[in-house]
Amino acid sequence: MEYLATIGVLIAIYVILSSSYNLVIGYGGLSTVAHPIFFAIGAYTAGLLAIHSSLPAPCNVLLGGVAAMIASVLLAASALRVSGDYLLIASLGFQLGLLQLIKNLDFTGGPGGLTAIPGTVTGAARTPFFLVVSGLLAVATVVGIRAIVNGPYGRAITAMRDEELAFTALGRDATSMKIVIFAIGCGIAGIAGGVYAYYFQYISPDQFEVLQSAAILTMVVLGGMGTTFGPVVGAILLLAIPQAITFLNLPPGIMAPTQGIIFTVLVLAFLFLRPAGIVGLARKTL
Amino acid sequence: MTAVLRTEDLCKRFGGIVVSDSVNLTIDRGEILGLIGPNGAGKTSLFNLISGVLRPDSGSIYLNGEAIDAAALYRRARLGIARTWQNMLLFRTMTVLENLLIAPRSYPGESILRVAFTHRAVRTAERLARDRAMTTLARMGLEQTANDMVVDLPFGQQKLIGLARTLMNDGPVLLLDEPMAGVEGAAYETMQRVVREEAESGRAVCLVEHNVSFIRDLCSRAVFMANGKILRDGTVEELIASDALTELYFGV
Repeated sequence: MEYLATIGVLIAIYVILSSSYNLVIGYGGLSTVAHPIFFAIGAYTAGLLAIHSSLPAPCNVLLGGVAAMIASVLLAASALRVSGDYLLIASLGFQLGLLQLIKNLDFTGGPGGLTAIPGTVTGAARTPFFLVVSGLLAVATVVGIRAIVNGPYGRAITAMRDEELAFTALGRDATSMKIVIFAIGCGIAGIAGGVYAYYFQYISPDQFEVLQSAAILTMVVLGGMGTTFGPVVGAILLLAIPQAITFLNLPPGIMAPTQGIIFTVLVLAFLFLRPAGIVGLARKTL
Repeated sequence: MTAVLRTEDLCKRFGGIVVSDSVNLTIDRGEILGLIGPNGAGKTSLFNLISGVLRPDSGSIYLNGEAIDAAALYRRARLGIARTWQNMLLFRTMTVLENLLIAPRSYPGESILRVAFTHRAVRTAERLARDRAMTTLARMGLEQTANDMVVDLPFGQQKLIGLARTLMNDGPVLLLDEPMAGVEGAAYETMQRVVREEAESGRAVCLVEHNVSFIRDLCSRAVFMANGKILRDGTVEELIASDALTELYFGV
């Protein structure tokens, strides 16, 4: 049970990550790979505050989100000023640079990571408690993003993605809008990071590498980019499938490669057969 | 008459190509000014300079007497310089009504903070914008297309939607880039009528057009451009009567 609940917490956190990433890349059309680094900024901020300050845990998680948001505005405001394409390169550089910094600083724990983050909640109720909290946050994220993209604001985002020049010439400030979308998406990732740090009580820089970018991107693409529930489906599938395979009781020598093969086949199959993703299929058959 | 829009010695060059060579242009309230000239004369570039898509190398632009040179593209639209595009640039994944709703000069529903904290104001603005959009569509006889995807409409109607979207901006200046290209039949009549009505309501209208009879029917004054220069400014009849210009433009 404990094991399944842990996977539940992980799924909730990845639903938050993939949904917020989808807001940025799917709805906003902003090419960035750096989503894990904002996850990391949230995790490290909350973790360090938990160790060194006496602020309550929810406050630290929220500050993690704020820190990620501020960092994202700094990145987007400088990169988008040049051009939209520049963001991809800038985000990659930002992620790699910041990870190097984390690995080489003392107070972040260096390459070994940040250990002994206080657990706040202890005892048997710990995992169920985190399951409920992260689950609620995941629902709030999905519902919140849905509300944003369905209203007048979402209409403006669509128009901006369709025809940015016409959008701007109608009196809309596309650059600020992109920065706002980026900041919201990255801020949410920061909050997810805070929850992650409190639950696992240990974070290391390896967890936020480019491989993680690929994992979150796969969730979004597989589920359906630019759809509300696509990233949710993608996150659940990509986390559940490897767990399901472990239940087959295969010898370890076969299991590890099997997981990799199934993953790769799945991604390739979707790219060729259903490029709009699982949820995207129903709506985007043009 | 007071000039609503005035350009002063507007210059712009791309390398060796001069697209605007000391252009001095005024458009008055209620006037429909025709901009004619051969391809590459700098007509669309002039629109791009006025609306803020391009920045001039030198020269100034005044709206109601105030310099707007520092204002970015989106700010000029909010100041009331509305324009259409030669290739329309409609929002292709959206319906006709949604296309129009993007275009009012100010729109509180597009600010996250206002959506969150002044919900009622957003709802009111949304209703007003919808009313205005439906009225504008009704003027063109297109109200029944409101919920159609723009890409599903015939070309002539798409052109009209491009104009309708721009008319959601109630500012003093209207720049129309080849409104008649590819438009015929009923859409042609509608286009002509609506442009005339807009001028009568007091807007300063400037249009780029190759259709000479459209210009002759609508414009009181016309400007002939070639190689980024204004060669002649006068009535349409004067311009058409000028042999030198006819030769340059029509090649006859």
